[in-house]
Amino acid sequence: MRRWGPWIAAALATVLLVVSAAWAEDDEGFLDGRQLRLMAPAAPGGGWDQTAREMQAALRDLAGRSEVYNVTGAGGTIGLSQFVRNDGDPTQLMVMGLIMLGAIESNDAPIGLDRTRPLVRLTTDYEVIVVPASSPVRTMPELVARMRQDLGAVSFAGGSAGGVEQILAGLVADAVGADPGQVNYVAHSGGGEALATLLSGRATAGVSGVSELAAQIEAGTVRPLAVSSATRLPALPDVPTLKEQGVDVELANWRGVVAPPGIGADDERALEELLLEMTRGAQWRETLQRRGWGDATLAGPEFEQFIDQERRTVTDVLKKMGLA
Amino acid sequence: MTDERVRQPDAASGLLGIVMIVFGVVMLVDAAGLRGSDDPVGPAAAPTVVGVLLGLLGASLVLSARAALRTHAWKDLRRLWRLTAMVIALVAFAFLLPLLGYVVSSAALFTVAALLLGAPRPWRVVAYGWTLAALVFLVFDRLIGLSLPTGPWGF
Amino acid sequence: MGDLITGFADALTPGNLLWALVGVTIGTAVGVLPGIGPALTVALLLPVTFRLDPAAALIMFAGIYYGGMYGGSTTSILLNTPGESASVATALEGNKMARAGRASAALATAALGSFVAGTVGTILLSVAAPVVADIAVGFGPPEYVALMAVAFVTVSALLGPSLRKGAASLVIGAGIGLVGIDTLTGQPRLAFGVPSLLDGIDVVIVVVALFALGETFAHLVAGTGAARVEPVRGAAVLSRADFRRSWPAWLRGTALGFPIGSLPAGGAEVPTFLSYSLERRLSKHRSEFGHGAIEGVAGPEAANNAAAAGVLVPLLTIGLPTSATAAVILTAFQSYGLQPGPQLFTESGDLVWALIASLYIGNVLLLVLNLPLVRAWARLLTIPAYGIYAAVLVFACLGTFATGGTVADLLVLTALGLVGLLMRRADVPVAPAIVGLILAPLAEQQLRRALSLSDGDWSTLVSSPWTIALWTVAVLALLLPLVGVVRRRRNEPGQLTYAGDREPGDR
Repeated sequence: MRRWGPWIAAALATVLLVVSAAWAEDDEGFLDGRQLRLMAPAAPGGGWDQTAREMQAALRDLAGRSEVYNVTGAGGTIGLSQFVRNDGDPTQLMVMGLIMLGAIESNDAPIGLDRTRPLVRLTTDYEVIVVPASSPVRTMPELVARMRQDLGAVSFAGGSAGGVEQILAGLVADAVGADPGQVNYVAHSGGGEALATLLSGRATAGVSGVSELAAQIEAGTVRPLAVSSATRLPALPDVPTLKEQGVDVELANWRGVVAPPGIGADDERALEELLLEMTRGAQWRETLQRRGWGDATLAGPEFEQFIDQERRTVTDVLKKMGLA
Repeated sequence: MTDERVRQPDAASGLLGIVMIVFGVVMLVDAAGLRGSDDPVGPAAAPTVVGVLLGLLGASLVLSARAALRTHAWKDLRRLWRLTAMVIALVAFAFLLPLLGYVVSSAALFTVAALLLGAPRPWRVVAYGWTLAALVFLVFDRLIGLSLPTGPWGF
Repeated sequence: MGDLITGFADALTPGNLLWALVGVTIGTAVGVLPGIGPALTVALLLPVTFRLDPAAALIMFAGIYYGGMYGGSTTSILLNTPGESASVATALEGNKMARAGRASAALATAALGSFVAGTVGTILLSVAAPVVADIAVGFGPPEYVALMAVAFVTVSALLGPSLRKGAASLVIGAGIGLVGIDTLTGQPRLAFGVPSLLDGIDVVIVVVALFALGETFAHLVAGTGAARVEPVRGAAVLSRADFRRSWPAWLRGTALGFPIGSLPAGGAEVPTFLSYSLERRLSKHRSEFGHGAIEGVAGPEAANNAAAAGVLVPLLTIGLPTSATAAVILTAFQSYGLQPGPQLFTESGDLVWALIASLYIGNVLLLVLNLPLVRAWARLLTIPAYGIYAAVLVFACLGTFATGGTVADLLVLTALGLVGLLMRRADVPVAPAIVGLILAPLAEQQLRRALSLSDGDWSTLVSSPWTIALWTVAVLALLLPLVGVVRRRRNEPGQLTYAGDREPGDR
């Protein structure tokens, strides 16, 4: 018995492996029963991760069990460089968005989004400019006046360098006639860290996604000055837009989904259809509501054109800021 | 305490010193290539300080291990073949993992490592390795949902 | 108080207890394995729990969270391979104890210390969270710079017998810590165009490489693969003397862990290092340090778990996730429609109190599960080294793959493992490298951030009561041992207690 113990254990483990492998393949799914794999090119908990996991839940009824995995780092460019290796595999999808465009430019990433097949734009998250509750600054024009007076003395706390928040700070400076390259932007590795600096009262202002700051705004620990949308947001009806306050800037932190290069046209159409169907479903509607994300569904060539146009805008600002 | 035993750590610390000097120089070169910023402490400041410290401490380790480095460092080399084999196995594991899947490559890694460490009864080690790798795969891939690479046979 | 009792009533249903049990079991299992921490596990299990009711899911997550924090100590003590950076300090004395046949005492003091710290931390969380959060929020970059100064000064205790070798280890760690994109300017440093290096080398990979691989390689070179360790000597798991020496350390560890853990950028590592240094300075058995002093296990392990409770303070009261695990728990909250933040207690009080109650329950379950298992765990050491280290290697690669997922990460792991071997052969301690790895980038970032925010004005570093207090502590910690040395030299040489032994870390 002792002699045979290890072999019995090994045989048992093999049986379990074979059975579980057969069972996994049996899983009903999209694309001839093959399982979709969604890459969130960022750490668990962030916007892309949330998007991927909400998609996973919403796709359950349409495409069966799908899988989410994270590849963290460098504004998603690490994930991107790994993703394009899935050449021609229509079961692989990746969540991406505006931040990735900025990161590709500012990191000088060797692989761009042109190597992927954009499928659908899904959501937008707008940015909000806030000041600590104790700040003497009460409105956006007051902040603008300070920026014009001494740009270096107005510090903005926000997310990663070259990210949406820094782009917004640069756009605002540009719009009010200040030099975007001289903006005192203090980067943090995430929205949470930036919030900590903001709450400590050391930064003049903070820039962050609306959904990230909603609770703080509601509690009155920070005071919202302006949102980056074209019209006021349903979530923050009392907060004026930048445009209303004479700052001609509009910026949406959109997120979407891309497929790997080299997939067939039929597969591409089927995936687009699947995702569009998902966005029409009740569960996705509920998700948008709960997360406070705007619906930004846009598919096909329009989405590709949109990416192109956004890339130009972002590159332009980043160049002016000395980041690209 | 024989002479041998006193000097062995010296030889290793000499080697470590050399590694530190190389690392320090690389850091300084890399720091010199960074774009400056308007901030009082720029992105190059910390790497420069650490690079200099690495170089100084490395040099001091090398200096005090000079004698040992000259005489004793390369004497051990014959005993290093196990280490070399292990490193080759790890590198091979890294490259074979995506091709052969988690279970097969991990079982192989376990077997090679155990044998190099001096395990008796090689076939038993294979059985242990296979069982361990299979269990890890079942728990983490199938139950918890961490996606581990699979080979053409599905595990 | 009434709320908490209702919370217990909600949490103590048989079904929820089962989920708590599942949680602590999974948590301990993943905590034991290097590289797979609670953050990843909770993220992976999130979709599975969508069908559970929120209370059950949160209870399970609480179990995973505390279980993961506790599990890390087991491999640290038994195999000298910490599963995560917050268990590094535990490995220092814990493994020495295990090699001296006192594995079960070390495991027991870790389990009890985790329990005490977890319980005290949870109590503080339920009574003082808003107050603590108010103070913690006041910590901005200048305060962190001062805190880092305190940490740097006091960790000298970790450097080991040779100051030069300890410092060498520290700067090696600092150098590794600087790899990756610079947060403030977005420029890659020391990445050489390798994508996996852009985001820096994951702390877990460095810990696993320097400890686990270094240890394995050392056995290979020395040819000691067939060696076994005597795991248990003596009958008692924890003797009376052990207990007497442990409990003050647990409390001191908790006192360091909870407040620092609740700071938005405090983390769990800094208090463990501080606790180790403090215990070393205070101990009456100072000569045992480096050979397996039980206080050196009890303190850091308590600090680690208290910090884990502290991390929940900013998460629940401000909605500020300060660790990867907290970020995932925040996601879990949000997927149940809960918005942590100032209004959490008033808006979804029931669920929060159920969560806090389940933290208590998870703590008790952990102790109940693990204390009887201590001897069984210690028996693990009877497996010959070749079996243990081959398995460690498999788990190390699994953990590395789970954090990075690429071939390049495994190559980095191997290379750093060789550095770990060299350090071991050269009698250079490994723990200071982890200290440098964690503190150096933090200190750098906070310093640059502070100066950026003040537009280049250095006086910002001493611009608040907290900064002045912390700098004072740092200076005292630096000077008092020197005063002690001088005084000791002047007095008769045999005298053992001196001022430097008692004051520094005490604040």
